[in-house]
Amino acid sequence: MSPRRIPSRPGELIDRSTTVSFTWNGRAFTGHQGDTIASALAAAGVEIFSRSMKYHRRRGIFSANHWDPNLSVQVGDEPNVRAGSRRLLEGMQVSAQNVWPSLRFDLGTANQLVGRFLSAGFYYKTFMRPQFLWHSLYQRILRKFAPGGRIHWNTSTHGAYDKRYAHPDVLIAGGGPAGMAAALSAAEAGATVMLVEQEPELGGHLRWGANDDLEVLADLRSAVEASPGIEVLVDSTVSGRYDHNWIAINQRSHPLAPERLIKARAGSLVVAPGLIERPYVFAGNDTPGVMLAGAVRRLTNLWAVRPGDRAVVLTASSEGDSAVADLESAGVEIVEVLDARSGADIVKVDGRGRVRKVHLGDGRTLAADLVVTATGWTAPTSLLNMAGDRPVYDPVAARYFPHALPDNVLATGGITGDGSIAELLAHGRETGELAAARALRIRHDVLTTTARSTSPKGPRPETVPDDRIPLRRVPHPECYRSSTHGLVDFSEDISSKDLMQAASEGFDSIELMKRYTTVTMGPSQGKLETVNAASVLAEARQVDMADVGTTVWRPPFSPISLGALAGRIFEPVRRSALQDWHEANGAVNLLAGQWVRPDRYGDPMAEALNVRNNVGLIDVTPLGKLDLRGPDVPKLLELVYVNRWQKLKVGRVRYGAMVGEDGVVSDDGVTGRLAKDHYLMTTTSSGAGAVWEMLEDWLQTYRSDWEVHVTPVTGGLTSINVAGPRSRDLLERLVGGVDLSADAFPYFSVRTGTVAGVADCIIWRIGFTGELSYELHVPSGHALHVWESLLATGSDLGAAPFGVEAQRILRLEKGHYIVGQDTDGLSKAPTAGLAGLVKLDKEDTVGLPELRAAFDRTDLPVLVGLQPDDPTVVPEEACQIVAGDSNEILGRVTSSRMSPTLGRSICLAQVDPKLAAAGTSVTVKLVDGSRITATVQEHHAHLDPEGERQRV
Amino acid sequence: MSEIDFRGPVDSVALSAPDGAITLADESSCTKVLVRGARKTAAGIHLKVTYGRSRRRKDGVLVCGSRPGEWTLLAEPGRSGDVAESIPSEGFVSIVDITHGRAMLRISGRDAVGALAKVCNVDLADDMTPDGAVFSGSVAKVTCDLVRDDRDGERSYLISCERSFGRYLFSAVADACVEFGVDMPPGLSIH
Repeated sequence: MSPRRIPSRPGELIDRSTTVSFTWNGRAFTGHQGDTIASALAAAGVEIFSRSMKYHRRRGIFSANHWDPNLSVQVGDEPNVRAGSRRLLEGMQVSAQNVWPSLRFDLGTANQLVGRFLSAGFYYKTFMRPQFLWHSLYQRILRKFAPGGRIHWNTSTHGAYDKRYAHPDVLIAGGGPAGMAAALSAAEAGATVMLVEQEPELGGHLRWGANDDLEVLADLRSAVEASPGIEVLVDSTVSGRYDHNWIAINQRSHPLAPERLIKARAGSLVVAPGLIERPYVFAGNDTPGVMLAGAVRRLTNLWAVRPGDRAVVLTASSEGDSAVADLESAGVEIVEVLDARSGADIVKVDGRGRVRKVHLGDGRTLAADLVVTATGWTAPTSLLNMAGDRPVYDPVAARYFPHALPDNVLATGGITGDGSIAELLAHGRETGELAAARALRIRHDVLTTTARSTSPKGPRPETVPDDRIPLRRVPHPECYRSSTHGLVDFSEDISSKDLMQAASEGFDSIELMKRYTTVTMGPSQGKLETVNAASVLAEARQVDMADVGTTVWRPPFSPISLGALAGRIFEPVRRSALQDWHEANGAVNLLAGQWVRPDRYGDPMAEALNVRNNVGLIDVTPLGKLDLRGPDVPKLLELVYVNRWQKLKVGRVRYGAMVGEDGVVSDDGVTGRLAKDHYLMTTTSSGAGAVWEMLEDWLQTYRSDWEVHVTPVTGGLTSINVAGPRSRDLLERLVGGVDLSADAFPYFSVRTGTVAGVADCIIWRIGFTGELSYELHVPSGHALHVWESLLATGSDLGAAPFGVEAQRILRLEKGHYIVGQDTDGLSKAPTAGLAGLVKLDKEDTVGLPELRAAFDRTDLPVLVGLQPDDPTVVPEEACQIVAGDSNEILGRVTSSRMSPTLGRSICLAQVDPKLAAAGTSVTVKLVDGSRITATVQEHHAHLDPEGERQRV
Repeated sequence: MSEIDFRGPVDSVALSAPDGAITLADESSCTKVLVRGARKTAAGIHLKVTYGRSRRRKDGVLVCGSRPGEWTLLAEPGRSGDVAESIPSEGFVSIVDITHGRAMLRISGRDAVGALAKVCNVDLADDMTPDGAVFSGSVAKVTCDLVRDDRDGERSYLISCERSFGRYLFSAVADACVEFGVDMPPGLSIH
């Protein structure tokens, strides 16, 4: 390796006064601030950067930018880093990826020996038989050879990825001369502009241009910087354009996050990505030392790196001529300039680690270490495709051009035609003005129709026609392939020969060929390969390029990390006003939907027994609560519940169940009448949102004449269930304004009073545990005071908290079912034990026709109480109930626990109707495959089926 | 009105960047009264504010047109009673004190928009959401009501959500403020 850094260049990006240390495959190197990883290594004389995906051929710098297919490297634990554009940082640990044991001696090169078997459609032709080897052998081998770097699962040095939203009037993809000019004119027209550039600095090809170009660039940058209406994002890629100009931007190198996904909604999108150089296809075209003209220009002018010593240049455009001039100024000997426009050609390159000989079309052979090609351009029309365009091929200019774009998408710059810098700038300015005019018209419309916004100033802007003068199309020879075969897709190791073979096998449509060979499906996403692939197919089919068509470019524009797509992870959690207390007092939490809840404080069996014997407190705040007001509330209740509600008196509470239009139980709860036109409805914890939406749906659409207001108050009222034989004794010490005696405050009643000095508490005498119990709904800002007062005042009564697990035990002893656990998508109200509740003679109820039909059905599963004959065995929930020794499924256990009160196992189960009669013996198949017998009970309740304990 | 201290869902003190360009504070204890009724009711006529806009009354109450036929009245803590009584109740009108049911935070300062843009996809440009604008949206995946309520010419937003989400929301917004110089207190991280 000999150093290749050359004296200072006018446009160089490196700061020679700095030294940046890094390692490459464990060896120490230095570069300068402003270097890319690749330029620093190239300056140090490194020539091999990677191995190809399939054949593990040595690969060197090819395009020296973001798209370089040979410059994917591992940096620390970050795989697939683009060394052609990633800037060097102090301490970077860079290594080659997809090699073993080393880049220099890679055993994967053995694939070259069997290359003839790895041709087109290789994946579809091999590893098919014997089928049993797929999992045990083939899959492992393929994974071993999977390309790309390695992620380290156990480290998280990346930190969190980020996300933000943006709403620019005009979003410009591409910060070259046309893009910058468009940004400036759009901003001058009054639009807010977001200018996105893939490389770490603005400028496009001006950056490596001559002094005149650099002066223009300096002026443009100054103007952009001075414009307050332009937000510039560099090292960022517009990844995708979706409906209504929803645009995804992947921002790299953010100071707080490795990558940030920006979700932008733009009035107008201006696509100005410039052009991408097209490789030339010939034998050995991936040999290190074969480079695109743009690559040598960038290496020379941006990073002051001499790309070789003796160069052969094949050119079909002025870009090649400029490259020759740059190479000469860098001290590279120009061995020969071959003008493709005059028929000169390169047919083959020899060399393993570096170009040695160049075989020309006229039969001569030249000694050189650098081959430079400038044979045409590819228009990266991806974003236009995403906007619905199908670009059209122009054989005169030998590239594709935009065809028909929606009004809110415009293109400018090289992608639309050719021109001098002045012409490109003029086109960009006109495009920016047009984009701004269209975007501001959209903004005017949005302001007009949005309630919160200010009224737009002035009349609606007129529609602005597109009267831009198109850029010229400079004739260019169709230089795609030499007389020899070479690589078309450098990322996927797909040659022109492979594509020819695919076409001969019948995969002769461009889309089929793409999928069969994987051409254009690598990290370059077709930017270097698509046109050459189309040309080879055209050649194979002997048709014109225009008749071949192109593949459809979809998002992302370039590969994007999964971390960026995930962005910041938002997982909302809900906490009751008492949750801090629970956690401070040893609660073990469980996550119930979005709610964090105390599952237990200690032994849940002991907690349950304390409720049976003394008094327990549980935080049931997640219970859905809806405040209902208005004279038509009874009508609403009649509609959504299966039972009757017209005669519910003030101060009384009633249980209700809801079904869907299919008659299946959807939710349940109790509703109390607090005043003449004021009710409080409770729902299941998980169903609170759905029930609210359902009520609003009825009131806003089908029953808009009803006077009912629904207000969700779930979090505003902290709900505390005080349960146990001593619960009344406890509350009598703290409740004011309410007579708690059994006669004055009977079961299923509601009162409003003070608790521990807190006013406006709602007290229900109901319960889920089967004990005498009260449910307190306390204003949440005072809930902790009430909770602590209850525990302190009731200490002599045995007052103690209990968690969700104890509650589950208690409710199962009592036989209360849980909607969604003990019921399912087939549980119609009659078979869930609600036959007595359903009133079929009501005028209207949601699901009434299905409920009527359900009463005639005899084939629906029935919910029953079930007790294993061996009281020590607790079948796990979801265990199947089967027919004897067979595996015929006749039901399943829906809930099961060991009952501390009864000293035996208890269950609820859904069973086939023929097994539902009390006393029926059923067989339960346990998780371990063994079988036990269990007996169907008369009631769902295993304890106190008559309800005497709760009615005291 | 109870004499017991109100406890909000957020324990944290106000957070701010060293340069003062952003501050985040919990204002859950503020009085919040929800009024529902048709615009032509006495209450609707009295409140005057249309959907999407807000105005501050002479008594300091901020009247927000939350939704069509729905207003949220915001005031300093402890005023639920007098705020509710100030609303004519003739006709079909519901007045519900939601002070305990809604968490509320205020984010203010030059960088407030930048921080909110990390958690909320609403266009916060001056013309789209001017001072006084009232709107709903997802903030860090929580359904929220937002009011732009500038103070002394400085951007300021009130964000309210269902109380049980309050702790999470405060943490999520505080996390968004870190980019702008706010130090995240221990225990508030959402990651």
